[in-house]
Parts: sequence; C-alpha cells; structure tokens
Amino acid sequence: MAQTIVNSKSNKATTNWKVWLGVVPFFLFALLFLFLPSLRLVTASFTAPDGSFTLDNIRQLFTVPVIVNAYKLSIQISAVTAIGGGIFGFLLAYSVTVGGLPKSLRSVLITFSGVASNFAGVPLAFAFVATLGRQGFITHILRDYFGMDVYAAGFNLYSFAGLSLVYMYFQFPLMVLIMAPALDGLKREWREAAENLGASTTQYWLRVAMPVLLPSILGAMILLFGNAFGAYATAYALTGGRIGIVTIQIGAQIRGDVLYNPGLGYAMAIGMVVIMAISLAGYSWLQAKTERWLK
Amino acid sequence: MSYLSLSNVTKQFGDTVVVDNFNLDIDKGEFVSFLGPSGCGKTTTLRMVAGFEVPTSGKIMIEGVDITDKAPNQRNVGMIFQSYALFPNMTVAQNIGFGLTVRKEPESVVKSRVAEMISLINLEAHANKYPYQLSGGQQQRVSLARALANRPQVLLLDEPLSALDAKIRVSLRAEIRSIQKALGITAIFVTHDQEEALSISDRIVVMNAGEMEQVGTPFEIYNFPKTRFVANFVGSLNTADAEVVDPTKGLVSVDGVQFTSAEGTKERKKGDKIKVAIRPERFSFAALQHKDNVVDAKIENITFLGSVVRIQVKIGNTNFNMDTFNNPFLELPKIGSIEQVTCSKEAVLVLDE
Repeated sequence: MAQTIVNSKSNKATTNWKVWLGVVPFFLFALLFLFLPSLRLVTASFTAPDGSFTLDNIRQLFTVPVIVNAYKLSIQISAVTAIGGGIFGFLLAYSVTVGGLPKSLRSVLITFSGVASNFAGVPLAFAFVATLGRQGFITHILRDYFGMDVYAAGFNLYSFAGLSLVYMYFQFPLMVLIMAPALDGLKREWREAAENLGASTTQYWLRVAMPVLLPSILGAMILLFGNAFGAYATAYALTGGRIGIVTIQIGAQIRGDVLYNPGLGYAMAIGMVVIMAISLAGYSWLQAKTERWLK
Repeated sequence: MSYLSLSNVTKQFGDTVVVDNFNLDIDKGEFVSFLGPSGCGKTTTLRMVAGFEVPTSGKIMIEGVDITDKAPNQRNVGMIFQSYALFPNMTVAQNIGFGLTVRKEPESVVKSRVAEMISLINLEAHANKYPYQLSGGQQQRVSLARALANRPQVLLLDEPLSALDAKIRVSLRAEIRSIQKALGITAIFVTHDQEEALSISDRIVVMNAGEMEQVGTPFEIYNFPKTRFVANFVGSLNTADAEVVDPTKGLVSVDGVQFTSAEGTKERKKGDKIKVAIRPERFSFAALQHKDNVVDAKIENITFLGSVVRIQVKIGNTNFNMDTFNNPFLELPKIGSIEQVTCSKEAVLVLDE
C-alpha cells in the first residue's frame, strides 16, 4: 500500500510538472513584456534626468496645463466615443437579437463586428482619410452629387469630432460583440412572466430587462472607454499629433523630437495605468453583479 | 355555465396542426391536468389560455367573458413556469409584489398582500433574498406566490415541478394542491408525469398529437382507459392481440388462451381482431380468487422493484408482466415453474385503436 501511495504521488508530481510546462511561455512573455516594463515605468516615473529620485514628474501631471489638458482631452474623447459607440452598438445588438431582424443579418453583423473592432491604427486612419478626408471619396460624392460640402459646413476629419468619428468605427462593433450575448441572456420567460402579471412592454423593459442589462451595458461602456483611452496609432496617423491626447503626449516626451523628458512620459503612462485600472475595476464589479444575478 | 371554457380551439403553426379542435369546460375551483408526451399540444393549449399564443380558430372564455383576443397583460391569469422565471434583479418580496406594483395598487395593499403571500409559502425568513440565494423548490414557491398575489381567475402551471429533484417534487406538489384547495382557485396543470397528474388532479385530460384522447377523473383514466394510447401512457400495461370468440359472453382468445372480459365485446362479432389490455397488478397467484380467468403461466423472470415485485410470465405464447406487493414473507415461485395465475373479468380491457 505504501508503495502505491509513493507511486501515486510521483505520478501526480510528473503530471503537475507537465501542466506547468505548458504555461511557461505565457508567464515568460508576461514577465518580459508586462511586469518588467511596468516596474520600469514605476521606477522611471520617480527618476530625474540626472538619475536621482524625484517627485517632480508626478507633480507635473497635476500642474502643467498641457499635461492636464491632455488627460482632459483623452477622457473627453474616450467618454464621447464610449457613450456614442455604446448607444449605437447596443441598438444594433438589440435589433439583431431580441429585435427580431432576420438571423442571417445577425451572423453578418457579428462577423463584421469581429473584424471592425480590431481594425484600428494607421490602416483605419488611412481608410477615413481616403473616404472622408478633404479629397476623400465620400466627401466628393456628397459634394458632387448631393451638393453637400461637409467641410464648408464645418466638419473636419482632423479635429476632435473627426477623431471621435474614426474611433466610433472600432467602438460600436466592440459594443455589439459584448452586448449580443448579454441580450441573448434575457430569458423569454421573464418577459412572459411580466406580461402575465400585467406589465406593459415599457414596464418590462424599465423594471426587468434594463436593470438586468445595465451592469453589462455600463461594463461594456467602461471597456469602450479604456479601448479609446489607450489608442495611439489611429490618432497619430490621422492628426499627426495636432490633437494632444495623453498617448500622443507620452510619445512626444519619450521620442523627443521637440520635447524630451522620458521621466515625465513614464509618469504620464502611470497616470494612464491608474485610470485604466479604475475602469477595469468598475467593469469587473459590474460583471460580478450580473453574473451573481444570472447564476 | 362552466367557469373556464375552451370551444373548438385549434392552433396551427404553418401547416402543422398542434392543437386540433380542443373542447373543454372547467368548473370553478377545479384542478385539471393536461397529461401527454412531448409535442402533444398541452403546453400550447396552456399558452393559449395565458394569451402567449393566439388560437387559429375557436374561443376561450372565463366566467362568460371572451378572452381569446385579449393581450396577456389584459387577462387576469396567473402562470408558473418550469424555469421559475423569477426576476433576478428583485428580491423575493419585490418579485411577489411585481404584479401589484405594475397595476399601480396602493403601497399599503402591495405590502400587506406580499406579507400574506410570503406567509402562505412559509418563506418569511427569505423575503429580502434574491432568487440566486434560494433553492429550486424555494424559487418555485416564490413563483407560486407571485402568480397568486394578483388574485388571478385561473392559475396555469407549466410543468412547474420538472426541474426539481424527486423528494422536493412530491412535497411541493402536495403544497400546490393544498394552497389551490384552500384558495378555491381554478387551476390547469401541464405535465408529462402520470404519477404527478394522477396524484394532484380532480380531472385529467390525456392528450396525444394535438387531440384529447380521454377526459376523466384519475380513477377513471387509470382504471378505465378508453384508448390504447391512454392505456399505454398511464401506468404499466400488458397489451396483446386477441380474437373475439363469443361476444355475448365477453370471451376472447389470446394465442389460443381464453379470457373473459366484462365489457367491450358486445358490439363486436365473433372472429373480430381486437386488442386486450391487463394491468400487471390485476394478476394474482391466488387461483381461487376469481373463477373467470384462471390460466397456466410459465414463470420467466422475477425483478425486485422495492415496494413491488414484477414477475414476467408466459401465458400461451404471449409475455405478460404481473406485479405483486412486496412483503418480507412473500413466497415467490421458482423461475421456470408453471403456476396458475388469475385476473377478474373486469381487469380484461378491450381497447379502441
């Protein structure tokens, strides 16, 4: 019997070792490209150009107007596109799930959303320049065939509104991808039970469906906020740095064509990490609430 | 006039007839079960009473009022779902009070009715819990209280016990029946479980392929099934092909072995091919108990089923099951032996196809 136990333990140890071997590449990757750079971010944020310890980089986050404005701009653009993309994405997801549109349309929309939510950076910026830029394809069609000169009317692709429009391209599909399963999770019996108890459709949505969906909607919008907040290449490729969002300011501080203060750049990145962490904590809390309800 | 009446109700989905010309009158305070296999139309019929399906033709009336075309939220009908369908974002008390709140009842009425209902289902300690914090049985009791809080004219129960384990199922069905009796509410209970239907109902409607096969009390349905389907679906049954030997005496032949039937052969003539049925518990070994049907049977197998012992016997060339109650002093025959078995002539049923 004793021999059997020893063999069993030995087998278990071998199995465990093999299981751990499978996850080694992931941990190695995370260590090299997440934990060590994060550690470097933290230490460098408190380092002066001469290598000494300083709190000046952190202080500048709250005192230098350009930096404060960069955060404000990033938060504004992230909030606008999260809310806009959230509403638009939710309505689309609603239409193809409980809204009763043909099922074939649902698969088309979900496939499109899967692709579009990952279509960002330089290709996206170029696509918009080619379509809605001053000499863009759509701009020309609108002007030549419909007599609508959008630029004369005040639209500018290279402005806050233009950048928000471009961000929306990857924001609303992400909302569709997150909300479609949540809307599928609304049980038909809830609606029927509500109707059976005398509720109108509006009362059902206000008292049952929306409260059940609200954590998912808010959670998804927080994700959209984070998605936009961390975007860099799209904004840089589209505006060439004219719109000073946080990611572009960090790039300027670290790359150093005109500005060069890597310590401040790292401190700004820490500020972003804090904002993203708060966003993700909010998302996790809301998700946990929904999961508990739907157990 | 009946309290709830379904007249010539038919439901078609495309070309498929799911419920065909269904007619039923239910009295006030009556507990009626729709019993049948999956796809027989019982749930569709229930959903038409609730208003979730609109009949293709026919009429549904409650207390003389035609509700056929009324929206579900315009009918005063309570429904309990198999999956409980409690609102996950509301506590037990909020769930129970939902119907009263959306009907804009005064706060004091909502409060007192919720308290009354919670006490009815004995869940006072759980009033502020959410559905996920309750067991399946507790959730279904809340669902019952929620449906009753509006004081509905009719209570509809769509397989409410199917998702529960066996013990809870038995205790909850007794609780449902006792609450229904206490409140005197008219109820329709959908189930595919014959034991459930037999134990809880005043009347049972056995359904098959969208049609009513038989309507009767549990006693009638079990003891006097009118069709082969009912006989097979409700309880265990031995069925065998037979031939009428003497219609006036009720004499039939099963593979050359003669049985006497108390009824059912008078309208037939000699030589007619028929189907006879005998419930396993109607056979016994006490050969002198009945004079009508005493036949030789070869003991093929014996299976112990707890409270019952099932003995497989061969009579002529036909296999039959016979059940006998278990007791510690039961003397069982040997497998392979020939024994005399008997059943009364009332036990030999002649079935319509």
